[in-house]
Amino acid sequence: MKPTIGIEVHVELKSMAKVFSLSKNSFNDEENSNINVIDLGYPGTLPKLNKKVIDMALKACFALNFKINRLMHFDRKNYFYPDLPKGYQITQQDTPIGYDGYLEIADKKIYLERMHIEEDTCKSLHTTDTLLNFNRAGVPLIEIVTKPCINSSEEAVQYLEKLRETLLYLGISDVKIEEGSMRCDVNVSVSDNEKLGTKCEVKNIGSISNVGVAIDYEIKRQEELIKKGEKIVEQTRRFDDKTKTTVLMRYKETGNDYRYFPEPDIPYVYIDDNWLEQVKNDMPILTDELKNKYINLGINNNNIKTIIANKDICNFFESVILNVNPNIAANLLTGDVLSYLNKNFIKLEESKLNKDNFIKLVELLDKKVISSKQAKEVINVLLETGKDPLNIVKENKMEQISDDNIVLDIVRKVINNNLDSVKDFKEGKDRAIKYLMGQVMKESKGQINPSLANETLISELNKFDVNKL
Amino acid sequence: MRYLDLDIKTINEKLKSKEMKPVDLVNEAFERIEKTNLNCFITLNKEEAIKQALELEKKDVDNLLFGLPIAIKDNIITKDLRTTAASHILDDFIPVYDATIISKIKEKNMIIIGKTNMDEFAMGSTGETSYFGNTLNPWDNTLVPGGSSSGSAVCVAARITPFALGTDTGGSIRQPSSFCGLVGLKPTYGRVSRYGIIAFASSLDQAGPITRNVYENALLLNVISGFDENDLTSSKKEVKDFTCLIGQDISNLKIAVPNYYMSDTIDEKIRQTILDVIAMLKQNGCQVDYIDIDYLEYAIPLYQVIALGEASSNLARYDGIKYGLEINDFKNIDELYKNTRSLGFGNEVKRRIMIGSHILSGENANIYYYKALKVRQAMTNSFKKCFTKYDLIIGPTNTDVAYKLGTKQDDALKSFYDDLLTIPVNMAGLPALSLPVGFKNNLPIGMHIIGNYFEEDKIYQLASYIEKKLNLDLNIKEGK
Repeated sequence: MKPTIGIEVHVELKSMAKVFSLSKNSFNDEENSNINVIDLGYPGTLPKLNKKVIDMALKACFALNFKINRLMHFDRKNYFYPDLPKGYQITQQDTPIGYDGYLEIADKKIYLERMHIEEDTCKSLHTTDTLLNFNRAGVPLIEIVTKPCINSSEEAVQYLEKLRETLLYLGISDVKIEEGSMRCDVNVSVSDNEKLGTKCEVKNIGSISNVGVAIDYEIKRQEELIKKGEKIVEQTRRFDDKTKTTVLMRYKETGNDYRYFPEPDIPYVYIDDNWLEQVKNDMPILTDELKNKYINLGINNNNIKTIIANKDICNFFESVILNVNPNIAANLLTGDVLSYLNKNFIKLEESKLNKDNFIKLVELLDKKVISSKQAKEVINVLLETGKDPLNIVKENKMEQISDDNIVLDIVRKVINNNLDSVKDFKEGKDRAIKYLMGQVMKESKGQINPSLANETLISELNKFDVNKL
Repeated sequence: MRYLDLDIKTINEKLKSKEMKPVDLVNEAFERIEKTNLNCFITLNKEEAIKQALELEKKDVDNLLFGLPIAIKDNIITKDLRTTAASHILDDFIPVYDATIISKIKEKNMIIIGKTNMDEFAMGSTGETSYFGNTLNPWDNTLVPGGSSSGSAVCVAARITPFALGTDTGGSIRQPSSFCGLVGLKPTYGRVSRYGIIAFASSLDQAGPITRNVYENALLLNVISGFDENDLTSSKKEVKDFTCLIGQDISNLKIAVPNYYMSDTIDEKIRQTILDVIAMLKQNGCQVDYIDIDYLEYAIPLYQVIALGEASSNLARYDGIKYGLEINDFKNIDELYKNTRSLGFGNEVKRRIMIGSHILSGENANIYYYKALKVRQAMTNSFKKCFTKYDLIIGPTNTDVAYKLGTKQDDALKSFYDDLLTIPVNMAGLPALSLPVGFKNNLPIGMHIIGNYFEEDKIYQLASYIEKKLNLDLNIKEGK
């Protein structure tokens, strides 16, 4: 049996103001503090249009390879619900800003049907009464709809991860599915023949991995029904996080009638070449391009993955990449820096690490002034205090001894003090070299450059005249 | 004391010379309201108006409209002053902001006397659908004053205030102006901000002035016009002084008369009166041609589809949750909606919401609504074509003069026919004015002057010429 999946994603855009009014776009402030007469649908009010929202949507269009409706309008979607202050939602039905796009995942193109701009509703809070928070009313959303071209939960999860990553790197949304700034509804159908089966929609899925869980459950549920010879009825279901199952919400009413018509309060918007050009010039580097760049720099795959998955780290990396050895920098950032941040539950910008100090540290390591073991200590101090790494190294006497003459002096001293071991060496006992090296480290209080010391030790031993023993 | 019957320039001089004060005008307006019994106001603003008038005594008389009383149709939002749209559903609604045009008249220090009666949500052409009862026609109290701007028209006709603001979606300024012997103008769509106008049909609504004469009409249009960043459909077109062409020679004007506007549907006496004006214009050198404008005959079905479709959506916000009528009798959310709206809306409004919802439902949207948009565009194009050759279009405003109260209430369709000649103008978004040009059985007859986009000044040019030539006595005789 073949499953077919389509996904609708709503994404909150993080513009300064709402899409159709000047209210601040910040849901998390005190309830009903970011509202005005437009958001409340007061009699006589009219929508404004936030051009910045269109800019952001255009960025998404470019990143998702959409064709753009250059002459677009808005439509009204009419229905009654307490969270809908005007009794209609302003959206785009006939002329979505983007159409016929695609996003590439590992080995497949996911075809995208459309992307449109709309306003969010207000947030209902159901206690003994129903309370309404209008901070969310009019927050800009884009809705991205795939074609029914996804055939497994793995593909769905890959698509959503890639989509999330792309939108995050565009800088247009926080795309936090847990906080509701990204919401996924999936349509799943199963068929045992060539025709598409009857689809069931699953809403209320709280994480990308649960999208996979929900899809697998839904495929199994529908397959079993088909095997039993039962008919699947079109319906809306909700994902239950506790039981990891999907639960029936309602059967689709026949012909859900939203009485769409063009919004007469907003004139048609024409997106001219200049506008497109401006947005294009403002496009950030996206993840596919970054990945290729890092591969070419010789950074290993695990590090690339980690960097891309952590946008803060990636931004930091990009800001220093021209001034440092990228491999050493990548190792430090994905290793010690990230584990420090995770351990302390802070963001990079909340630590004391800055660009200049980081560059100095990488340089110390690159020039072998300090060892990687020492670097671990230094980076932790850097993250805590923001001190100059050179000072940290000096204060802790961490500098490696790499001066040829000093190294030679130490090596010769060790040799003269350990003639027994030299004898063992000359007799071919391998253990002797390890012991002598240990003595060299000890003599230098661990600060000698190990490879240089090793090299010098062997050459001095070879030169040593057996007759002197 | 008959200050309010003086012309605006004289009043302005007397205010400047302190021979009269704004409060005298305000007191006189309220005395007249008390003397008459026409039900033209829903809410009076007496205390606030007197207070404002007294404060104005300290200010310089800096414009022609300074200190003058004005009446505002009750679908225009006024801060802190009850605004009902003549509906039970908003009968306790006190707005927290001013419509843009209200801010503009306040800037000129005009004084709001009160909020005028109207058809509920501007849906009607007789004033009879108001929750607050119908308004009487001062020419004959047994007749309708026209609507939906019934109270605004009656207020000026009864000489309570020299100025009123109305709104016009299918003829709601021009038709009552015609029935009451007044000058009423619907401006070009986009000329006047709609921010703060309680929406009926967003693509057709436009506010405009109702006045005693042409000059004063142009003065008030000067005040309320202009781009508003709160209304995306308002125009950035420059606002000139609309009085600038008044008194200029009209002999070079080319005028069109649509045959449709002079057909048998129009009362004979009305047609004859218009023909007399046409003859007079020709005598004075105007070129007047009879022409055909395509699609005019579709005005009423177009209106029913487009206006009512939009209205069904615009009125969805009155749900009993955020403002307006609150009911306690409900068990669930659906009942809250149903009971609020059943109780809150009158029959005409309910009828129009039902028709509009039906028209936009499912496949109907394609059969009716999108088809109507195409016809609307075609009608607009035929007007545009006409204006490539002509400066102005004239004809009657209505098919007849004012009729008896109660005659059309039983037939839902009939009342739309009042707007037969006015609707096409809203559909095309053009400016048009109604001007009194004669009488039938002592009742005023209105002439319709339609201009090209943003050429209100040319409309006033011709209207003032005709007004001066005819020199009609439009004061209502006592005892009528």
